[in-house]
Amino acid sequence: MIDGADTTLARKALLPAGLNDLLPQDAEHEAKVVGRLMKEFHKNGYERVKPPLIEFEEALLSGSGAALAHQTFRLMDPVSQRMMGLRADMTLQVARIAATRLHKAARPLRLSYAGQVLRVKGTQLRPERQFGQVGVELIGSLRPEADAELVLLAANALAAVGAAGVSVDLTLPTLVPIVCQALGVVGEDGKDLRAALDRRDAAAVKDLAGPHAPLMLRIMEAAGPAPAAVERLAAIDLPPEAEPERRRLTAVVKLLTDAAPALALTIDPVEQRGFEFQTGLSFTVFAKGVRGELGRGGRYRTGGDPGQGEPAVGFTLYTDTVLRAIPGPEAPRRILLPHGTPRDAAAALQADGWQTVAALEPVAEPLVEARRLGCGHVFQDGRAVAV
Amino acid sequence: MVRRHKGTVHTDRHGGLRVRAAGRPAHRVPINAAHATPQQNRRMTPPANEPLVLALPKGRIADELRPVLDHVGIVPEPAFDDPKSRALQFATNRPDVRIIRVRSFDVATFVAFGAAQLGVAGNDVLMEFDYPELYAPLDLGIGKCRIAVAEPADMVETDDPSRWSHVRVATKYPEITRRHFAARGVQAECIKLNGAMELAPGLGLCRRIVDLVSTGSTLKANGLVEIEHIADITSRLIVNRAAFKTRHDEIQGWIDRFREATLAGQT
Repeated sequence: MIDGADTTLARKALLPAGLNDLLPQDAEHEAKVVGRLMKEFHKNGYERVKPPLIEFEEALLSGSGAALAHQTFRLMDPVSQRMMGLRADMTLQVARIAATRLHKAARPLRLSYAGQVLRVKGTQLRPERQFGQVGVELIGSLRPEADAELVLLAANALAAVGAAGVSVDLTLPTLVPIVCQALGVVGEDGKDLRAALDRRDAAAVKDLAGPHAPLMLRIMEAAGPAPAAVERLAAIDLPPEAEPERRRLTAVVKLLTDAAPALALTIDPVEQRGFEFQTGLSFTVFAKGVRGELGRGGRYRTGGDPGQGEPAVGFTLYTDTVLRAIPGPEAPRRILLPHGTPRDAAAALQADGWQTVAALEPVAEPLVEARRLGCGHVFQDGRAVAV
Repeated sequence: MVRRHKGTVHTDRHGGLRVRAAGRPAHRVPINAAHATPQQNRRMTPPANEPLVLALPKGRIADELRPVLDHVGIVPEPAFDDPKSRALQFATNRPDVRIIRVRSFDVATFVAFGAAQLGVAGNDVLMEFDYPELYAPLDLGIGKCRIAVAEPADMVETDDPSRWSHVRVATKYPEITRRHFAARGVQAECIKLNGAMELAPGLGLCRRIVDLVSTGSTLKANGLVEIEHIADITSRLIVNRAAFKTRHDEIQGWIDRFREATLAGQT
């Protein structure tokens, strides 16, 4: 904390809302976790791409990107005199790369990315306006195997960084709109009903759905641990237009339960929030006792609008929430090297995993100096001595 | 919620445990959280689940809620029914279930942030805050009232609401008020009060109020008349979204028990 009396320093320390500094250990920890997640993606054939921080507004916010327009910081490019947007999400940038510069690359195309995004407003659960996204996109396949691969990849990557109690919630953000359309519940009524279902507000659903209330409530209640909830959903008499959605969900659940019986998998057929550009099966990753979502993903089209571009599926993990779900940073093994310690001794210690801290001048009490600098050990007589 | 922290623990002068983790701000943990469970009940219950916190509102709904709790099988410790008790959290007959008692607006906040998994709040609170992290799966059918616009009785005769372009309103619900008037093209300037809205027109603070009305007697006693109905209000069981996903069977079990209690109460 900065001394309250020193107002100049305090003024300098104050950051805009939703932005913060990461300090030693935490910054290192975050970078390591991102690296570990990316390694897991890499092992599964996903190749890293790096889009720029800022793009022309009309490219960044066209098609599906329009959903993020209100969350995007904009600035004028003094060179081209065109408006630019600072990315609020990386998915669509990667989709753009796949559709343009990599349109000749073999499909299915597997890409991964890690980077920071900036949003105009934080949310209730995530007041941060800048946070990290780490994710993958699998472009050019409609197979349910692709959906299943991504759910498993997300779960495995989180397990690799030590997240406990992870559960994946499969959702069908397009199911409720399709059912509403088929039943003729459209316009404002349809919008209100979809919002009520999204909040699981049973009383409002009853009011708004009129004669369709029993059906809507049954769909809403077909939520919970996967195999049982899928059976409940299968027993519901849905309009035929909704059949492909249900079939895909059933297929993906089957693939997942066969491949990973221990995976905590729930379904929620009425959840639609935050899936503005998704065009089909989607999922959200939660962890027990952790506020907010660890990540989310789903189906979309690289062209933006339905029927345009290629089918794709992807997910992104939010580093800030992931960090809350995993053990904190381990204290580094820091060792103080007294003044004049030979360089090869330092190199040997570093090769052994030590973090070496060289004393820049001789000190009378190396043990005291080590403690002062946060070192647990001092290098004395050719070995590490605990302080 | 008691969390484990590395670092030193000592009791501070406010009677809470102060836990200081290296480099992090101190968190105060209420001292009675750790040993409030009645030992005699521990034997009777099945192995404890993860702790579950139920947030209940102070005030008018509390009495109506009591029979519901009985039916659900949650028996709070005696201090819960003691009006003189200043405790804010209460053990129950179930070692895994704890009750916290907070203002009705705060019930929604505690549940939205996952500090409590379940709660009871009126849909006035839900409409005002519109928290995306809350589910409201059950209408408990208690705490019935309505939210309405009222103005002084002597104003009603001359007032023509269709000519308004701007109104000044005293209310505890600025969001609901703004939305209600905006929907008919009227700009509402809200003066946020936390209680005793009925005083505002008489003392010239503003001429209209938006408030909860149950019998209308408070309005009448203050010379006010209800002129517009905004919404019907009842209490809802609310659930934290992440808890609903990650502890589904357990949470759904509680929703089902509250539903049975509600049905039993209505017949």
